Amino acid sequence: MSSLADRLRGVIRPLVEGGSKGPPLHRSDHGDHHDAAEVLGGEWREARGQRFLVVDRKYAPGYRHGRVALADCLPPDTGIWPRLHLLGCGADLLGCRAALYGPPNQSGKLLFLDLETTGLAGGAGTYAFLVGCGWFDGATFRLRQFFLSNFGAERALLESVAELAAGTACVVTYNGKSFDLPLMETRFVLQRLSTPFAEMPHVDMLHPARRLWREDDVECRLTNLERTLCGHEREGDVPGFEIPSRYFHYVRSGDARSLEGVLEHNRLDIISLAMFTARASQLLDDGPAEALTAREALGMGRLYERAGMTAEALEAFARAVQAFTDDISRAEALRAHATLCRRLRRYETAASSWRRILELRTCPVAIAREATEALAVHHEHRERDLTAAKTFALRSLQLQATVARHQAVQYRLARLDRKMGSEPAIDRPSQSLFPLGY
Amino acid sequence: MGSAAWFVKGINYRLVGLSLFVRYHAAVMLPARRTDSAHDHALQSVVDRLTGGLPDRADTPDGWVTAVRRMAPRAAEYAPFPEGVDSRLRQALCARGIEQLYIHQAAAVEHALAGRNVVITTPTASGKTLCYNAPVLSAILTDPSARALYLFPTKALAQDQLAELHDISDRLSRLAELEIGVFTYDGDTPQDARRAIRGRAHVVLSNPDMIHSGILPHHPRWAKLFENLRYVVIDELHAYRGVFGSHLTNVLRRMRRICQHYGSNPTFICSSATIANPKELAEALVEQPFELVSESGAPRGEKFFLFVNPPVVNHQLGIRRSYLAETRRIASEFLKRQLQLIVFAQSRLTTEILTTYLKDDFGGQPGTPDQIRGYRGGYLPQRRREIEKGLREGSVRAVVSTNALELGIDIGALDVCVMAGYPGTIAATWQRAGRAGRRSGRSAAVLVASSAPLDQFVVRNPSYFFDAPPEHALINPDNLHILVEHVKCAAFELPFTTSEDYGKHNVQEVLGVLEESGLVHRTGPAPDSTEATSGTEAGPHDHEGTWQWTNESYPADAVSLRSISSDNFVIVDTTKGADVIGETSFNSGPPTLHEKAIYIIEGTLYQVEKLDFVGRKAYVRQIDCDYYTDAITYTKVTVLDTFAKGSGIGDQGSGIGNQSSDSVEAGLQTRLADRSHGEVHVSSRVVGFKKIKFYTNENVGSGELDLPEQQMHTTAYWLTVLKPVMAALPYAPDDRRDGVVGLSFAMRQVAQLLLMCDRQDIGISIGSGEGDDTDLTRSGQPAKLSDEPRIFIYDNYPGGIGFSEPLFGMHEDLLTRTRALIAGCECQHGCPTCVGPVGNTGPLAKTVALRILDLIGAMQCRGGSLDPPQIEVA
Repeated sequence: MSSLADRLRGVIRPLVEGGSKGPPLHRSDHGDHHDAAEVLGGEWREARGQRFLVVDRKYAPGYRHGRVALADCLPPDTGIWPRLHLLGCGADLLGCRAALYGPPNQSGKLLFLDLETTGLAGGAGTYAFLVGCGWFDGATFRLRQFFLSNFGAERALLESVAELAAGTACVVTYNGKSFDLPLMETRFVLQRLSTPFAEMPHVDMLHPARRLWREDDVECRLTNLERTLCGHEREGDVPGFEIPSRYFHYVRSGDARSLEGVLEHNRLDIISLAMFTARASQLLDDGPAEALTAREALGMGRLYERAGMTAEALEAFARAVQAFTDDISRAEALRAHATLCRRLRRYETAASSWRRILELRTCPVAIAREATEALAVHHEHRERDLTAAKTFALRSLQLQATVARHQAVQYRLARLDRKMGSEPAIDRPSQSLFPLGY
Repeated sequence: MGSAAWFVKGINYRLVGLSLFVRYHAAVMLPARRTDSAHDHALQSVVDRLTGGLPDRADTPDGWVTAVRRMAPRAAEYAPFPEGVDSRLRQALCARGIEQLYIHQAAAVEHALAGRNVVITTPTASGKTLCYNAPVLSAILTDPSARALYLFPTKALAQDQLAELHDISDRLSRLAELEIGVFTYDGDTPQDARRAIRGRAHVVLSNPDMIHSGILPHHPRWAKLFENLRYVVIDELHAYRGVFGSHLTNVLRRMRRICQHYGSNPTFICSSATIANPKELAEALVEQPFELVSESGAPRGEKFFLFVNPPVVNHQLGIRRSYLAETRRIASEFLKRQLQLIVFAQSRLTTEILTTYLKDDFGGQPGTPDQIRGYRGGYLPQRRREIEKGLREGSVRAVVSTNALELGIDIGALDVCVMAGYPGTIAATWQRAGRAGRRSGRSAAVLVASSAPLDQFVVRNPSYFFDAPPEHALINPDNLHILVEHVKCAAFELPFTTSEDYGKHNVQEVLGVLEESGLVHRTGPAPDSTEATSGTEAGPHDHEGTWQWTNESYPADAVSLRSISSDNFVIVDTTKGADVIGETSFNSGPPTLHEKAIYIIEGTLYQVEKLDFVGRKAYVRQIDCDYYTDAITYTKVTVLDTFAKGSGIGDQGSGIGNQSSDSVEAGLQTRLADRSHGEVHVSSRVVGFKKIKFYTNENVGSGELDLPEQQMHTTAYWLTVLKPVMAALPYAPDDRRDGVVGLSFAMRQVAQLLLMCDRQDIGISIGSGEGDDTDLTRSGQPAKLSDEPRIFIYDNYPGGIGFSEPLFGMHEDLLTRTRALIAGCECQHGCPTCVGPVGNTGPLAKTVALRILDLIGAMQCRGGSLDPPQIEVA
């Protein structure tokens, strides 16, 4: 009979074949390798009988990412850009604002947070082996990385993170809402600690970045943004998928050399995050006129609109309409403008934007339909120009739509006919009608 | 007029204000229901018609109605509420007419409140849910931080219980000014609702699959639940047998580690249908001692149970009249007399066929609501709820269902249950029969046998069903394939300490092998330097080493609780484009999806055009033909290790692990047959296939195939027919071979019956067990037998699932029942009911198989009529 271990090998081996990517495993004896603190340029910190590594870096105002210097990114003396809260997550926007600017004695520190983890799956077995924190300190930017050099030190490490995070006014992440912060929460709870980020205002820059800087075919990743916004190209950057296996290699061999690149990757991510936050906040402070691209203007408009800053929003939308060169994007901007105007009861302005949509050479069907329907409503109920209303309703019938929508239009047409029958519509010479069959 | 009776009954229920909760879940102080004599009379008259007016007659195995049993009515037995039930709960129950409990409810509640694990087995509709709802709600009222987790084998059952729990918890919430949160949490729960549920739920209703992949790996999010987990309820415990049960034990082991981490130690309350070993099963699944509550105090009306065997229409081939037609006739008898009916069919297809039949007969006026409904998996939830409601209210007169309605979905109590085909196990049959049966008044259950071997065995041997204890449910949680997967999940959830135990194997060794593959990593001091500590305290100790999960995967994703291996074949329909239309397990891939095979889904025929074995894909195209295919598989079993061995009949078996083989040989000189169980290597290969015409079952062609061999290590029981017996058979070698083949065919049927397992759970093979190759017959059997042939019945899962050892123990029963099956069959030379169709096994298979059994002594046990065997021992 085979031994348990042999039988186990028969069971386990086939299941993991081809599963292990990453560097080959080789055990080196303790002492054979360089000290991780030395390799990674950090200092050991001891707590609770366990030690972990802390890596501190300081960046001077002259530090650059491509054409952007750190000095250009500094927050005002209060520590926080006045319109930072516009970047906050939808529902927390107001809470975020109150927490950010409410208590005058806040230290006003912003904490830029980014984790490197042992996987993307989440769950109790996914560790944050590197907790990277960055903050502005006067004219410099400081960065502290907590490195989990052995699993037993996690509790001590997290306590140190909590200590640093205490007194933070707002935590800023990139995709932290769905990844970094839930993962932090899991780790804190697992160690039976309370998480410092639970009630903290949070800006997840992924969402505003998508609004402001997304390009049609490019994923909105930090490295892509670095390239387009800063003209910065990383050299020898560690690809994300390699990070867990590099860490596991260190865990098994004690050899930290392949992790130096991971720590640098994390530092670059945090600095970029701080720079983009600065760029977005400054843009919002400076106003729509400063937008560099039409997309940026449109995104700004949306951010202003969410925060109830309608004047700025309208200005931004108008600027976007002007700046876009392609019809599809322009339709998008006009639609944003028209919808906001309607909400503000500026019906005439709204109608003129809807009309401009219909004058575009190419326009997404959904937006065109929205425009014809809005104009039909406008003419039926406000202008009381039933003939024009009917023309728009008929035009919307020609556009592709769901059965339900078609039905709604039919109802409108029937009602219009009824109304026109009983009280003949004043047949105004309607120059408002766009020329059919352009 | 009959419909008036229906109407009156409906009113009765409304008049007494019976809500679902009251009807099913507690002893109710009600004005006695007016005996609806018209209703009882209608039922009696159908039973009389079927039985010829002789309800208490003796069994007639060869008759049309082979057995009738009358179960006497029984009065309710009550007990007061046990001490410790929160007064507000009692108040809420009293407000609903529940002033005292049935004795089994009281006993269960008392155990649970005292923190003793309890398993309850009482019949369907005896108020089992109150047995667990009462202690859980009482505990929450006393301590609002308390939490409970309910496990149901299906999502539908959880939904059903949710409605009911809401009803009582809402009432309590008002009474106690405490918001009692009750939520289901499963794959259907919207993502945005999940966080709220985690925060607010006192009671979480879920299923093992969700616990395994959604809750345990994310336990920190559920910290509040695990810190305060007071009760774990496992409903329908009997569903957790075989692979599913073995997985569940491991899920519970993982849950216990997590509870320890958060400092809780929940009490388990389980409920089960009637099986032979509920306490043993509960203890095997939960790995803690249990109290058993099995005596029901619920009242029961008079009930009749009938077995019907469709008459033989062709004696030569042993063909009987269609059991579906028979089911239709019997159902019609009851329907004609306005009785409410449930018909159970064996498959989705037969469900639809029977629904069509009954709708044709009793469709009612066009435009009126359907009184006859079908019910099966695949219907949308809304439609199902509508049917369930119709059944409770009486507007649906008959429902035809798959086993989807077998479990505890609330459809009220019906008058009659007709089963088209034997459900496969005694327990499931009782469960289905329990769908008919009122607190007072008569009810009936009718089993209509198909021509399948098991069905025939059961209807022809009614005492097997009525008098023998029901099946044992078996699990093997320490199957290495299953165990290893869960050790990975457990390591992901919480690091193992170097002194921790898990399961029956040495988990430290398991972790050591996992480390070789880089899945875990040991940190901290070496094992020999650790002080002896128990692994029961929360968290790893500083002076102990730990095993950390060091892989980026999420191991729970790779494990399906309903099978051992997640490897499968997908079926791609290329008729129009490339649609995936189904999937099948790795093991059943080659025999059903080889090239030219006919693959059937819901009556639609497809032919396999190409089998991509490496890519695990079968490309099929819809075709129209009048035959199906049956693969010929050759399976070779090689014995690796014999765990125990005994002689044929009448001994207890002996472990031979420590004995030398010499002494074993010496002790077996005069024996005729040996039984053994042990570890084996199974290799199987699909060597060809037959084309078989629909309806006539004619063999209309065949083909040869060459597919890769599939191999596994598993466990097996085997019967060795020794030389003296083989030598004493006065038949030609080919006939002797046919006899052994036929015997194995019949043994397989009986083994399935005894083990309470599905057909594909076990496999069968004949050979020497020594790994030698042999020529094959056309049906894939060895052309020539060895001197001492062995019949292997092996667990059809890598590593074995725990059938072999019990089968070894039930050896005598196995042979006796096999003999009864063969001897009792009416065919002349063998049929699919006993030793297999003549075309497969040869003309003398039946005779020789019986002769072998007689020689080895099976006839001595029951119903034997031949002379004692005369054997000359060489």
